[in-house]
Amino acid sequence: MGDGLELSGLTRRFGDLTALDDLSFSAHGGQVLGFLGPNGAGKTTTMRAIFGLVELDSGSVTWNGATVGPEQRRRFGYMPEERGLYPGMRIGEQLTYIGRLHAMSHGDAQRATTEWLEQLGLAERVDDKVESLSHGNQQRVQLAAALLHEPDVLILDEPLAGLDPPGIDAIGRVLTEQARAGRCVIFSSHQLDQVEDLCETVTIIDHGRLVVTGRVDDLATHGARRLTVRVDHDVDGAWVRDLPGVSFSEFTAGAVRVVLDDGVDTDVVLDRARRVGRVSEFSLVRRRLSEVFREALQ
Amino acid sequence: MRFLVVAVVVVLVGGARLLRRRRPRSARSPRSREWPATSGDVALVMARELRERVRSRFYVVGTVIILLVLGAAIVIPVVHHSKQHPVHVGVVGAASTQWRDTIAAAARSAGATATIVTEANAAAAASDLSAGRIDLIVGSSRVEVAHPIPSGVPTTATMVARAVASSFGEQRALHAAHLTEAQIRTLTSMTALPVVALHPGPVKGLNATSLIGVILIFMMLSQYNTWIMIGVMEEKSSRVIEVLLSAVRPMRLLTGKVVGIGLAALLQASVAIAFAMVLATSVGSHLLQGTTFSVIAATLVWLLLGYGFYCWVYAAAGSLAERQDQVQSLALPLSLPMVVGYVVALTAVTSSSPSLLVQIFSYIPLTAPFTMPVLVGLGDVSLWQVILSAAISIGSTVVVARVATGVYQRAILRTGARVRLRDVRSSS
Repeated sequence: MGDGLELSGLTRRFGDLTALDDLSFSAHGGQVLGFLGPNGAGKTTTMRAIFGLVELDSGSVTWNGATVGPEQRRRFGYMPEERGLYPGMRIGEQLTYIGRLHAMSHGDAQRATTEWLEQLGLAERVDDKVESLSHGNQQRVQLAAALLHEPDVLILDEPLAGLDPPGIDAIGRVLTEQARAGRCVIFSSHQLDQVEDLCETVTIIDHGRLVVTGRVDDLATHGARRLTVRVDHDVDGAWVRDLPGVSFSEFTAGAVRVVLDDGVDTDVVLDRARRVGRVSEFSLVRRRLSEVFREALQ
Repeated sequence: MRFLVVAVVVVLVGGARLLRRRRPRSARSPRSREWPATSGDVALVMARELRERVRSRFYVVGTVIILLVLGAAIVIPVVHHSKQHPVHVGVVGAASTQWRDTIAAAARSAGATATIVTEANAAAAASDLSAGRIDLIVGSSRVEVAHPIPSGVPTTATMVARAVASSFGEQRALHAAHLTEAQIRTLTSMTALPVVALHPGPVKGLNATSLIGVILIFMMLSQYNTWIMIGVMEEKSSRVIEVLLSAVRPMRLLTGKVVGIGLAALLQASVAIAFAMVLATSVGSHLLQGTTFSVIAATLVWLLLGYGFYCWVYAAAGSLAERQDQVQSLALPLSLPMVVGYVVALTAVTSSSPSLLVQIFSYIPLTAPFTMPVLVGLGDVSLWQVILSAAISIGSTVVVARVATGVYQRAILRTGARVRLRDVRSSS
């Protein structure tokens, strides 16, 4: 067992359904880990298992080599997928209360509440009830609740869901800062572009099993060559489908992305593109995280 | 009694401290990195529950209503009694001392007081009677009233008229028998012989304190246990439970919750009892006359024991639900034992004679909170029986708490449709 958070052989069955199937991966301090998978892959169950909210059939969770128990979990921060705050309780009191449950002194919890509300632009709302806030601001308060006690491990289930771009930027900035401060940050998301921007490493699971894990850079440069080709007036990139050794990947923003088998000459693709129309972009590109995700699940 | 006052003061001061709001200070200082022991988490949860409940509008309004009802029950009879006007009795000519004494005694026997109005002549007396300035005229051979005495519930004036007529009729008969004044005094001062029971026991009557106590226990158990159930359901439906359980163990979270809400109930009950006692003493009410410390203590103790037993059941039920309508469908069957116990206890306290059913119910934890204080109030129970009943309740509470906590732990994180007990059993 090494440093950081280590999940080993997590297995959990609900009747006939196997939610976690011998799942193992690790995350370390100072990094942001994107935890990805399709709906029902077992992401939330994994996160709940870390906090003891799901009883495991087998497997273990360790932090810096020690089995995670109630005392360790008090030094973890958690933002559940379905946000959880008392709707009718004042924001300041609620955050202080949650901080104190994480073993902070009253004074420290109050100071941390003030600081985080100021940092997240909610200082003026300290005496308001949570239910009076917009969805985005409730999300910010929820994030503050996970961060108050300066946790060693920060686990966030879909923290970017439902946020506008400024909200995504604000929370993304906080996550990056937390990782730079040496904390281990794990978050799940379906917004793969944001994950690509925020994460150094990703772990992809499906049907409760690990599919792929590694650094984003390594995963992006790994595998077959791929091209982005932009042809004037092209609407769907269908022209690539009959090219031998060339696989259609995706068509986004007026450009088609293709994957080349070994030995395929890029000129073949260029010539075919010219016959369709004027080529305004033709470049070799890295794998995007969405492609890594899609290909990992195939 | 002194203990009760001290307990009330302690609870009030504690509540006031919890209610005191502290604003976060902006000054930054190094944050402590020591992580204290976890023993304070139950107290934290308890303090939050107490603070939020006591601060809620529902609690404040409920307390005010309870105090108003108690105040009305104590003050209205006193005001009504003090507003009873003396009955004005007209006598033509100067009334002798014997007449005055006879009229006063007759009025007393009718539960009233009499003021004698000396009339100059019969015509003046008749005029005053017609005008309503006097209620009756007492003459040497008859008693006159303005209107015929109706059947049904008599007024004070008619009761005094009848009593005066009866007394003067007796006096006439005694004089007609040619008795001496001394013999007449002997006869009219007769007192009834005392009636002595073969087996001495307490004098039973409607014990107002027991009655108020039973109503208070029923109201509070219904209200606070429903709060527990709704509180647990809301934590589940708002998903805050996941945040809480990531830091606190379920058993400790639930313990803090039920203790906090229980303290809110105790605070309200203590305020109500203290208010009733102070008010009754200050206005000279007879409502709590004869109340002993044991009745008040039994009410408070059984309120706590009842709450202690039912709170776990309601908490477990709340963890099965996720919506208000689900809570309502669960609350109805849970409230049935309370309603049965309450009705049986009410019957006993109003009839002043506890039946065998009441005796049996007093040892069943579901109904004992209602029937045992009534038995204490009626003096129909000895100390060992009270201790036995309390011990059964406490023992049952321990068992129920263990089972309920197990249900809570398994059900509280299960969302979607209402969780059924067999689902919980199968997942264990």
